[in-house]
Amino acid sequence: MKAEPSSPRTFPWRLQRQIGVTPWAGLLARGVAVLLALIISGVVIELGGLPAIDLAKRAIESTLGSAYGLQQAGLLATSLILTGLSVAVCMRMRIWNIGAEGQLFMGAWAATAIGIHIEGPVIPMFLAMFLAAAMAGALWILVPALVRAYWNVNEIITTLLLNFVAILFVNHFSMGPWRDRVVGVLTATYRIPYELPSLVGTLHIGILIAILIAIGLYFVFNNTRWGYEVTTIGRNRRAAEFTGMPVTRNILIVMLLSGAIAGLAGAIIVTGTAHRLSGFISNEYGYSGIIVAALANASPIATIIAGFLLAVLLNAGIVLSTQGLSVNAVIAINGLILLFAAIGEVAASYRLVRDVEEGPGESPIGGPQWGTPVESAAGAVDTGQGGEVET
Amino acid sequence: MTPSSSLTTEGKLEVGEETRDQILVEMRAIWKRFPGVIANQGVDFELRAGEVHALLGENGAGKTTLMNILCGSYRPDAGAIFIKGESVGFKSPAQAIAAGVGIVHQHFRLVEKLSAAENIHLGWEQTPWDISMTKLAERTQQICSEYGLHVDPRAKIWQLSTGEQQRVEIMRVLARGARILIMDEPTAVLAPIETVELFRVIRSLAASGRAVVFISHKLDEVLEVSDRITVLRGGRKVATRLTSKCDRRTLARLMIGQEVVFHKLDKVPVDGKTIVDLQDVCALSDRGLPALIDVSLRVKEGEILGVAGVAGNGQRELAEVLTGLRPLTRGTIIIDGEDLSRASPIRLARAGVGHIPEDRIGMGLVRSASVTHNAILREYWKPPISVGARMDNREAAKFARKLVKKADVRVPNVRVPVRNLSGGNQQRLLAGREMLIASRLLVAVHPTRGLDVAATEEVRKVIVEHRNAGSGVLLISEDLDEILIMADRIAVMYEGGIIGLFEASAADREEIGLMMGGARPASDTHR
Repeated sequence: MKAEPSSPRTFPWRLQRQIGVTPWAGLLARGVAVLLALIISGVVIELGGLPAIDLAKRAIESTLGSAYGLQQAGLLATSLILTGLSVAVCMRMRIWNIGAEGQLFMGAWAATAIGIHIEGPVIPMFLAMFLAAAMAGALWILVPALVRAYWNVNEIITTLLLNFVAILFVNHFSMGPWRDRVVGVLTATYRIPYELPSLVGTLHIGILIAILIAIGLYFVFNNTRWGYEVTTIGRNRRAAEFTGMPVTRNILIVMLLSGAIAGLAGAIIVTGTAHRLSGFISNEYGYSGIIVAALANASPIATIIAGFLLAVLLNAGIVLSTQGLSVNAVIAINGLILLFAAIGEVAASYRLVRDVEEGPGESPIGGPQWGTPVESAAGAVDTGQGGEVET
Repeated sequence: MTPSSSLTTEGKLEVGEETRDQILVEMRAIWKRFPGVIANQGVDFELRAGEVHALLGENGAGKTTLMNILCGSYRPDAGAIFIKGESVGFKSPAQAIAAGVGIVHQHFRLVEKLSAAENIHLGWEQTPWDISMTKLAERTQQICSEYGLHVDPRAKIWQLSTGEQQRVEIMRVLARGARILIMDEPTAVLAPIETVELFRVIRSLAASGRAVVFISHKLDEVLEVSDRITVLRGGRKVATRLTSKCDRRTLARLMIGQEVVFHKLDKVPVDGKTIVDLQDVCALSDRGLPALIDVSLRVKEGEILGVAGVAGNGQRELAEVLTGLRPLTRGTIIIDGEDLSRASPIRLARAGVGHIPEDRIGMGLVRSASVTHNAILREYWKPPISVGARMDNREAAKFARKLVKKADVRVPNVRVPVRNLSGGNQQRLLAGREMLIASRLLVAVHPTRGLDVAATEEVRKVIVEHRNAGSGVLLISEDLDEILIMADRIAVMYEGGIIGLFEASAADREEIGLMMGGARPASDTHR
């Protein structure tokens, strides 16, 4: 149905939905979303009896004001960029990988399995651990990918549920067969004898790996035939089928790639910061990756920025948790950011326009025409983001 | 010609003796524009109590738009609506139903998983607050017997036949007190036996003093069920007549029109060899019903084969089997001597088959992507655009600029998203792209739909030029004028089959119009 002016003639302004969002409006919407979420969180914290502005000041100082704080944020960013990329790769095709958390755990598990059982020279060992982690992550999404590609089974539920399986699986090994009986910890494995080299202070080179992967993905999406296919399928699946692109195969490849990246994140965490596999190696990175990817609108380069932004917030939260603010509050703030980003996404596609007579003659040839012929009007209004969404 | 069945005697209104208070609805000078299309241009419409008023016209004539305005789904750009003499301006279907105007859409709006009773009570203020299946079933049973429509109240919608689902829709509208019932192409989804039943219902509703608007493009049905007929063509009202004073021939003429607006395009007579040979092709629709039934057709080099017919008679499926988008259930497609019945879209594109799809925005173009992205859609995989896995964006832009120039797409640069292009420009881009690969056959489906006059002429011109260059063209259009101007041969499709094949020179507009409405050719006198 056409969106029609429903206000009486006396009020000439109305909201009109535009088809598509300009890049600046999208960016502005995201910026405002983050800001609003922070302001609302501040008000709530203030009402809860804690000095919000004071806390914010301390959070900023502790993270951005010291080398140690920056290094800590960088470590968090490494994981968030990788899980963000994992989710973003799927988002390019309008598929939601909610299972980056589980794939991360499986990657960590595979890297640990190799790290604590095999001895060898450092570089081949790292290659082996990373490869195993990527494969384990990909394997963990294989079933959701197959049923999505061939039977169109909703991937949101399948990937999400496998997260819990993965955590239980890891817990079994970290508390059972691989538990470090020498030191006597209860919930972690033996220490992996291979450590990622440091970049600056506590920050290891994992951050470089994450950034390189992001840049690599940027080139894949923008400069390869396959990237073109993925973009086309994501934007209009029917057009892709019209040309004869291998849609099913590409859904599989994209989802496996997504799993592999999340798996790699697990290997980097376990060899870079955690050193022992346990059920606590992830700060919900897989879920935060969804926020990162959404804020970045699935762009690999923007994912780096969004990853850092969330890392700073997360680090601030960890610092604040020593000052009486619970970690759950930080998770809630992240949730608020995502919620506002989603609202901003929709709001960005509206303009306040003056109510004037619209006619077919108004659109100059070649100029913008903010309308579609009658046949497609319904589709344009009903879809969520850019208009063309496959159902 | 008078309607033939026994239904006609009961409750027919003598429209001759009209009095003012008999007029239930009056729509005056209704205008409605959509981007690129003027759907209604100063349409007048009048509806009286106790009559079945048919709204006749081809697809795109503006019938559904007019009735969507009456039932509050759209608001008119200009014009006035009076119900029982009072001016109204519905802002929503809810307001219209409160004023007694209800519509049964062509595509039902029922919740498949709920029962008939639940569907009737959904969103209805008279639904009791303490619902139970028994209570709802009882109430539904009452409504059933009140209107003489029978449906099992407890049956889920998906368990019901299409005819029964339609009855649920009708009851839902009637139960809310509709005095004016609009039915949009109600027979399109029905089996013949269900149609007979529906007509009985429509007549009895009219007999009870309600007014029924019957939207259709089927001449026989309109003649059988209605008291009066209003014909729309191209968004304008052509005539309102008493059914008793109409016959199929006059109606077909009113519906299709006679004036040829466009001049006949020049023609190079070629007797080329056969490019495409379809033999007994069968295929299913998206809903899994037979959509193509034993279609056999040939397209030769240097000819345009026009396929005429009202939309939904298998034309879309015909285009899709020819371009690899829909599997055949039987039959063969031979292109240049090679059996390509099971070929993929890419394989067919390599064989020289291009496709201007019906839904250019939904299928032919990626609206949110740039002109370049869209320009290379068919050839992105081959050099110079792609070499190995790498795609050369500079070559892609070069390709796009060349195409834009050749097809006369007016854009500031090739980076703008396609959604910013006017309909005509989008179609020029799409047509230009497809013609590059359509060295043998171009399948063009409604290529000028929604375009303005100038853009229409241009698109037609390039298609004819493409034919003149020796390629075959399969032109599917519901615009009979377009077919008559452009085609060298004309096939008429009806219910999944080809029911007539003419040389363009021997084609008779009225006869084709009749056949589009389902009339089998009476004799072969026109051959």
